[in-house]
Amino acid sequence: MNPENNNNRVPAVLFILTVAFLLLAVCFSRRKWMESEPLKAIALVDPELVRPTTMRTSYAQLIRMQADLSDFDCYGCHEQKKAVTLRFDGSNNLVIPKEHSDIVMKHGQHGRNNNCFNCHDDQNLLLLQTRDGRQLKLENCPPLCGSCHGPTYRDWEAGAHGRTGGYWDKAAGELTRQICVDCHNPHSPKIPTRTPLPPPHPLHAAARAAGAEEH
Amino acid sequence: MIGGIRNYLVFLGRCGRIAFVGDWRYYSWMGFLSVFCLLGLNAYARQFAHGLVVTGMSDEVSWGVYIANFTFLVGVAAAAVMMVIPVYVYNNEDLHDLVIFGELLAVAAILMCLAFVTVDLGRPDRFWHLIPGLGQFNFPASMLSWDVLVLNGYLLLNLHICGYLLYSRYHGRKPAKWFYIPFVFVAIVWAVSIHTVTAFLYVGLGGRPFWNSAIVGPRFLASAFTAGPALIILALQIIRRVTNYRITDRALLTLRSIVQVSMLINVFLLANEVFKEFYSGNLHVASSKYLYVGLHGRHALVPWIWTAIQFNLLAMVLLVLPVSRSLRWLNLTCVLCIIGIWIEKGMGLVIPGFIPTPLGDILEYRPSLNETLVCFGIWAFGLLCYTVFLRMAVPILQGRLCKANEGEAGWRAPVASGEAPFNS
Amino acid sequence: MTPEKPDTNWPDGPNAGMSRRNFLRGSAVFASGLAALAASLSPLRELDDRPSVEQFAQKYYKELTPEEMKKVLKRIEDEVEKQYGLRPHVKDLKPEAGVEFVYALNLTRCVGCRKCVHACVGENNQSRTPEIQYIRVLRLPDGSLDLEKADHYYHPEAVPEKGYFYMPVQCQQCKNPPCVKVCPVHATWQEADGITVIDYDWCIGCRYCEAACPYWARRFNFAKPSIPKEGLNLNMAYLGNRPRRRGVMEKCHFCIQRTRAGRYPACVEVCPVGARKFGNVLDANSEVAYILRTKRVFIQLKEELGTSPRFFYYFDV
Repeated sequence: MNPENNNNRVPAVLFILTVAFLLLAVCFSRRKWMESEPLKAIALVDPELVRPTTMRTSYAQLIRMQADLSDFDCYGCHEQKKAVTLRFDGSNNLVIPKEHSDIVMKHGQHGRNNNCFNCHDDQNLLLLQTRDGRQLKLENCPPLCGSCHGPTYRDWEAGAHGRTGGYWDKAAGELTRQICVDCHNPHSPKIPTRTPLPPPHPLHAAARAAGAEEH
Repeated sequence: MIGGIRNYLVFLGRCGRIAFVGDWRYYSWMGFLSVFCLLGLNAYARQFAHGLVVTGMSDEVSWGVYIANFTFLVGVAAAAVMMVIPVYVYNNEDLHDLVIFGELLAVAAILMCLAFVTVDLGRPDRFWHLIPGLGQFNFPASMLSWDVLVLNGYLLLNLHICGYLLYSRYHGRKPAKWFYIPFVFVAIVWAVSIHTVTAFLYVGLGGRPFWNSAIVGPRFLASAFTAGPALIILALQIIRRVTNYRITDRALLTLRSIVQVSMLINVFLLANEVFKEFYSGNLHVASSKYLYVGLHGRHALVPWIWTAIQFNLLAMVLLVLPVSRSLRWLNLTCVLCIIGIWIEKGMGLVIPGFIPTPLGDILEYRPSLNETLVCFGIWAFGLLCYTVFLRMAVPILQGRLCKANEGEAGWRAPVASGEAPFNS
Repeated sequence: MTPEKPDTNWPDGPNAGMSRRNFLRGSAVFASGLAALAASLSPLRELDDRPSVEQFAQKYYKELTPEEMKKVLKRIEDEVEKQYGLRPHVKDLKPEAGVEFVYALNLTRCVGCRKCVHACVGENNQSRTPEIQYIRVLRLPDGSLDLEKADHYYHPEAVPEKGYFYMPVQCQQCKNPPCVKVCPVHATWQEADGITVIDYDWCIGCRYCEAACPYWARRFNFAKPSIPKEGLNLNMAYLGNRPRRRGVMEKCHFCIQRTRAGRYPACVEVCPVGARKFGNVLDANSEVAYILRTKRVFIQLKEELGTSPRFFYYFDV
């Protein structure tokens, strides 16, 4: 290459470089240069939804809380010593009296458990009764439930069925257990469905698979 | 002793000075690279300030282009030393001086690797935790700890060999064989080890079936020895053009035969892998499916990998045919090799390992602009380093920059012993 | 000897000086280059969590003496107070002898409500934006444990849905953890009671453990975590739920601030259907020991990988 050409072009190149660097310096100093967008804030979950409260508030809990027990005062309406007659309709379904209209009888398929006195004591409405003749206080339902649901009862006694909370280390504190009716409605014991909490929000979510919805 | 240090400092000073001297093509090239270095540095500063959220990575795909480039460049660094084998093992004199160019490329590549790993760290300020003795070094259990050792060792090894050979040439002395030949042979073994250790980083993860396969190691080496010498073939031609350093076509063709054999092995191993993944129909092929044909409607990598495969196959055919003995076709073939292997080893290895996640979720990855600028910046930095190394090395090898003309005016330097002047 | 052709790159030779004009031009380039270099670092203006000198030089957890640990805990409390305006209580709880934690999860019972996910987020001070959740609930079709069929993003009106079962996955606290093996700086290790912990002040953020985990249990702080002040849990542990920084890993640690004080983890307590069971497997009277004794079929996820997880999934009825 002709040194003449070389010498002529070098100043031009150096000039262009100076301009380029100065331009870069200016661009870099501006705050708006390649400013990244802040992440879209993800909605917080209501802390009430994650409190470890039980699904139901049972009679036993009401007693512990020293709350109003008037709902469970059977003889406030029923007459003492007077037998209660159950009424059935034409298809042998139990007819719920309007005073107990909040009860939906769904304990067992095909109406197998369609008799209040399978569990409640017909002689003393404040008690429960088992098939083998034991009488239990209303707040002590597990032996009654266990008299039919044996395997579940055994699991519950060991702590494997139902909720455990509090302290696993007995030396450090108390283990809290629940009884059957703290979760299961005794007349309609199947756990009801619920709305799930929101699904996860992956980072750079625009790249998420649309196909996953299909599963 | 003092004289020795003084001499060395003068040598370094002259080398440094010469890096700033050149013609308009040199200034344009260095200026162009500097611009990208600055853009990359700016992008990294942004990443340092805001965190890795500015990249496209997420918990689902937690390694991206940084590690992809790292993997590719470790291969280049390993292969750059491959020229050592013909020269020192087979006494091929054509390549003798070119070994230094290969080792300088290895140094530049290792510097790029270290840069890529550093920019990928979430807390680079805690790098001292990696220093054995000072921090907690999980050697030998963690393959990353092996990688730290072998990469830094390889860097020192190559710096020593090149530095010693160039300094000896600068003084017009014959280098003492015991001071560099053993290191050269160590470097051959070490080159294989750096790439095997990098492969084992992936192979050792049982939870990622795409990587947990014995073929990853051999494939790494085969692809490295394809892309590395291909890069050197191109680099040597550039050196030949911009300086008047003599490089014979025969040297280039020797390198071509390395690329040829390696590419054949690479394609064979690819065929092995594809057969193993798809023939038996077992359930672990999700990642391969994602890569080659797409999975559940997600197929971002499919065009990339098929481009890579086509490039590799075309390059293989060209390499086998005598047409690639002509430089123009050889150059095209080298470009095809480099791009094909970069895709296959970078994006085609790292990303599918994360898709689907171990729990079956699919979240694709796309590098952000910031991430891409950091990558360009590091590549520019590496090329800058290599250019500077060559700018120093070529005059030394030609005898034009030597101890004898220290302090002398004029450019016509006495020719160093054993070196004939060449016309380009 | 034929004369050498002029080196066009170097027409003036090794010792020639530059002309004055070229020198000035070169200096201009150099100066403007330095200006560009300085300006390129300007995003560092926005850096808001520079580590203090003590933090930078903090020793590895296992090397801290009790006095040093006290200072570290106090420093953490000061930092949290500075950032959130509330002073936490940060403890360093050690594992108890004779305790090995095991988790059993009853897949018959899980209804997929995700309460465990969010209770964990609140208990363990996880970032809300970007979102970090240690627990991921998978919805799988009945009949198969093929995780590729899992749906992570289900959001029907009501759960559980017919034809599906739900499987929450979190850190399995493996007996043979791949994450511990690969960490280059020993930032994660397994403690005597079985919990695999992370020293957040030691982690360098290389994410090798995240790649190694077969259960996708580890999470990385890609950005500065954002925790709402009113949701901050002030009962903290050094290896547990103290707020993390940008650039470090985190994961389920069995609510170490609770379990080492004898309490159940948050996910166990909140589960409305009692699907989650936790305890000391070395205690024959614990519910987990009972479950492992009496239930017949257990699923340890990806058992063939040899990780030996401490998480046992089972079906009841």
